[in-house]
Amino acid sequence: MRKDLIWLSVPALAAAALPAHAVQYFTLEQAQHALFPEASGFKDAKVLLTADQREAIEKASKVRVRGVELNAWRVEAGGKVTGWFLVDEVYGKHEFITYAVALDATGAVRGIEIMDYRETHGGEVRNANWRAQFTGKRADAPLVLDQDIKNISGATLSCKHIADGVRRLLASYEAALK
Amino acid sequence: MSDSPATVRRARPLLGTLVEITAAGPDAESAVAQAFHAVEQVHGLMSYHDRASDISRLNREAAFQPVAVHAWTWQVLAAARAFSEASGGLFDITVAPTLTRLGYLPRHADFPRASGHADWRDIELLPQQQVRFTRPLRVDLGGIAKGFAVDKAIETLQAHGISAGRVNAGGDLRLFGPKAETVHVRHPHSPSLLLPLSELRNGAAATSAGYFAPKHVGGRQISPHIHPHTGQAVASGTSATVLAADCMTADALTKIVLADCPAALPVLERFEARAILLDRDPNTGAWRMLDSAHQEKHCA
Repeated sequence: MRKDLIWLSVPALAAAALPAHAVQYFTLEQAQHALFPEASGFKDAKVLLTADQREAIEKASKVRVRGVELNAWRVEAGGKVTGWFLVDEVYGKHEFITYAVALDATGAVRGIEIMDYRETHGGEVRNANWRAQFTGKRADAPLVLDQDIKNISGATLSCKHIADGVRRLLASYEAALK
Repeated sequence: MSDSPATVRRARPLLGTLVEITAAGPDAESAVAQAFHAVEQVHGLMSYHDRASDISRLNREAAFQPVAVHAWTWQVLAAARAFSEASGGLFDITVAPTLTRLGYLPRHADFPRASGHADWRDIELLPQQQVRFTRPLRVDLGGIAKGFAVDKAIETLQAHGISAGRVNAGGDLRLFGPKAETVHVRHPHSPSLLLPLSELRNGAAATSAGYFAPKHVGGRQISPHIHPHTGQAVASGTSATVLAADCMTADALTKIVLADCPAALPVLERFEARAILLDRDPNTGAWRMLDSAHQEKHCA
């Protein structure tokens, strides 16, 4: 006969629960050089999207355009344009991600790197004041917690948000950079 | 692992999640790039969504004729069979039609209609890495390929002379090196809270839980974990973490633990793995934890 399973109660463990974590994988310059090691220069090519452009991007990508700025750099190598470097952010239910996308000279994706990843308490990411705490605090972000939080086991939805973001950036390239 | 200058830590969106790879050692940058390449390769071979993957080719053609697959795909299919055999079918990669019906997997119009009676025993592994289905069925390696990808990335780091490394693919984690690290799991009821579970050194941990993909079907909240014997989705709100030597084993065993915990105990013993289950007591509603290492031994 099967023995009864032995269960422990969780409340005692829950007291040790920790709320959030954050990682910076790349600064802007590091990401630029990792994705375009051959580049001789990155020319700021930031675009303020017009209402028409935003509408075209939403129509082509089926993704809502929240910001008006398209953070883009024209990448030069050997005196020619070799591609485009784009930086974007996506918010999930439990995460807040800054990522870089490299496009080649024809507008095809050449690489994607996560620059910053921040875990949040559920609702806070939608709160403007909460988000504002990150402004200008990249290097000494208060949410960098201790070593042993890094090994989080548990799936996230991050990937879908990034996939949507990349689709939106590709449409933005077509509408505003090409 | 300390984040010294010799340590490289990168993350990319792959396998439907964020894959993070960390490595310390000479030329860590190129080792990490190669490890990502291995993950991309597994993704390309075993994705259910990608129409050119080995898995899509099998789902389209293997019911009609033998289909040759890549050595890695073959390896994962053979491992899946071993987990199915060891668990009496509690692990079964043929539950894809149910996942499609519940909206967790896409419909592919050119896949043949699946038989309602097919299970893992209808997948024939033939010589020369060929595969044939003896009944029309559809396979999905979602419960095992992520762990395999983590293992391949770890092997790549080790082949490059990395002294300490870690690969974390959203719930599937493996590390090697001199230091032990603490594995945390999200609280099933409050996913933004992390519970410290166990120390891990030179090994793997995988967690499966329904908390990030719940749906409501027939008034019941469900998760993308299907009980192969009943065809029903396992209720969400339970989280299973398995610690094992390799990540593919840990990944597959989480599905068995979620499907039937008492039946999973001898399977865990056989694969020298340990499971930690978090769920709610059905009588009191209180959160509780089960550690397979603290149960009485079940001799085979």
